[in-house]
Amino acid sequence: MGGAGDSSESKVSNELGQGQGEEGIVVINVRCSNGTKFTVRTSLESTVGVFKSVLAQNCDVPADQQRLIYKGRILKDDQTLFSYGLQADHTIHVVRGFAPASSTPATATAAGGNPDTTTGVTRGVGSNEGGAFGLGGAGLGASLFSGLGSLGGGASGSFGAGFSDLEQVQQQLTQNPNMMREIMNTPAMQSLMNNPELIRSLMMSNPQMREIMDRNPELAHVLNDPSILRQTLEAARNPELMREMMRHTDRAMSNIESTPEGFNMLRRMYENVQEPFLNATTMGGNAGNDSGSNPFAALLGNQGGNQVRDASNNPSTTGSEATGGLTAPNTNPLPNPWNNAAGGTQTNSTTRPNPAGNVRASGLGGLGLGGPGLPGMESLFNGMPDSNQMNQLLQNPAVSQMMQTVLSNPEYMNQMLNFNPQLRSLVDSNPQLREMMQNPELLRQLTSPETMQDMLDPLLFPFLQQQMLALQQSLLPQLRQQTTQEASQPGAPTGTPNNTGLEMLMNMFGDLGAGSLSAPNQPDVPPEELYATQLSQLQEMGFFDTQENIRALRATAGNVHAAVDRLLGNLGQ
Amino acid sequence: MTLGSGGSSVVVPRNFRLLEELERGEKGIGDGTVSYGMDDGDDIYMRSWTGTIIGPHNTVHEGRIYQLKLFCDKDYPEKPPSVRFHSRINMTCVNHETGVVEPKKFGLLANWQREYTMEDILTQLKKEMTTPHNRKLVQPPEGTYF
Repeated sequence: MGGAGDSSESKVSNELGQGQGEEGIVVINVRCSNGTKFTVRTSLESTVGVFKSVLAQNCDVPADQQRLIYKGRILKDDQTLFSYGLQADHTIHVVRGFAPASSTPATATAAGGNPDTTTGVTRGVGSNEGGAFGLGGAGLGASLFSGLGSLGGGASGSFGAGFSDLEQVQQQLTQNPNMMREIMNTPAMQSLMNNPELIRSLMMSNPQMREIMDRNPELAHVLNDPSILRQTLEAARNPELMREMMRHTDRAMSNIESTPEGFNMLRRMYENVQEPFLNATTMGGNAGNDSGSNPFAALLGNQGGNQVRDASNNPSTTGSEATGGLTAPNTNPLPNPWNNAAGGTQTNSTTRPNPAGNVRASGLGGLGLGGPGLPGMESLFNGMPDSNQMNQLLQNPAVSQMMQTVLSNPEYMNQMLNFNPQLRSLVDSNPQLREMMQNPELLRQLTSPETMQDMLDPLLFPFLQQQMLALQQSLLPQLRQQTTQEASQPGAPTGTPNNTGLEMLMNMFGDLGAGSLSAPNQPDVPPEELYATQLSQLQEMGFFDTQENIRALRATAGNVHAAVDRLLGNLGQ
Repeated sequence: MTLGSGGSSVVVPRNFRLLEELERGEKGIGDGTVSYGMDDGDDIYMRSWTGTIIGPHNTVHEGRIYQLKLFCDKDYPEKPPSVRFHSRINMTCVNHETGVVEPKKFGLLANWQREYTMEDILTQLKKEMTTPHNRKLVQPPEGTYF
């Protein structure tokens, strides 16, 4: 869904004025019957009638002709959104009906007394809801901007810095992809595009932009890179590429949506990156934005995230520059979305000077250097279905270099711990673990290629597994506590099991084990016995395939949560 | 539905399956022409569902919104849910008295497979509305219910 991607866009337009964090304001996705999608921000306390008038500003259906459908129900004007159980990021469908004739008696109420009946429905035989509007519409445009990353927004921002109504221009452009394309296809723009030098000088002539670049050498590097500039503009011109980028973002967003902390991450990203950026471009870049002295390094985080995503298509290219892939639409299935999340988290670490200096130097940099790199790590390991690949990856000089950088610097570990409250509380209550986490030597050993290879050694395996079991057992009570806490939080998504940082940690360790499990060996104890309790738990949950359960439990070293994730996570995705 | 890595299939338990469908319904994933959700959020067995179908273009159903009730018993998704129209409709596979979609006349229910979802049922019913024997049928006045 483009929902989350769009939402950051619509936030931009609203929040500058009113500030954020208002109680009860949520983002709702709206789908029209002609295929257009957009998001609106609303209070759940407002009535459907009020909500319709908000929608009327965003689509071509007047409020009195709108029929709203949510979860299979038709929404009545006098009810509140809340009364229908609407929650943030849920989707409402809009259908066009005829304007209700006031004289029509509501036969429906007499017939059934159905609470969902609206009087308008008694008459709606609309024939005019067909797609007069091009598919995509606002949704497409909005995704375009977020899809291009803040770079796109920044670039157009810098062109338009002279306009006081920059936002208006931008909004118009985003709502009309054709216009954007046309602009991009004009000869003037073409020549501009073929001349990155010109673009650069344009940017440099903007004092705010220059200041930003001066302050952030990394950003300057990106903006000075002609190929990146060209890609960005190319993407804006080529609908195919645009769609591809959109798809990337949408996918990434939907994945972020379903990850724990994902939205917070997005929010942080937005707060740290987009807002200051816009402030800088629209408010004349005065001293007001020193809230984030280096917010734009996050841009590079994005960039890094993208690269990682591309790179992870093919482990052998890891670490090489993958941006070239953007010049042509990519038809491969989209790889691991977590990396983007890792890129996003990097915003957190921007308070510290980045010793690597140039994030683009290694595609995996975004992952490794990105503050709480755990999710990324996990996905890294998850993404390695067999030990050979894992091995290969670990022997890749770029990767080991990355690991070295991360691990040789205890700072990073600390940072990682500090940014994840769950993890930190765990560590605080568990001095041993802390010791372990802070011992660079140990960690290096743990992740060194040699160790990995050792793990694959059948002889060593039982020993290793024991170790993991011990570790996990010490973590389990806390994990349970954590998950119940999470579950009892209101608004926790019902559908997705709530992962905590802890669980990620466990998964990480579990998957380290999983890698070695593919080696043909058996622990001494038959798995049925070893995992008897876990097996019965899984049975109770409704997983009746014992063999599959055992496989999952073995892969996760007996962690039921991880096993369920594994059983479900691998399905049809 | 197969395991990405192993290649063997896992039977998704009922509750996980329904939660998945619930989320799809809430988030509006899918083609957007049908919508569905749970009636009672407190029913831990997730049995009663409401669905809507937006009448397809170029049929008598165009512009109408049909409401349906779906009931997923404990043996779902091994067995199909029972499906009945709440809004009155004239369709060959729908009982004229009760609004029940008769499995014998509706292929998806007759040849039910556990991979099928309620969304599949709704989209298939919508498709059924466009078939030659259904698209021209005289319909009861809109807003009447079984």
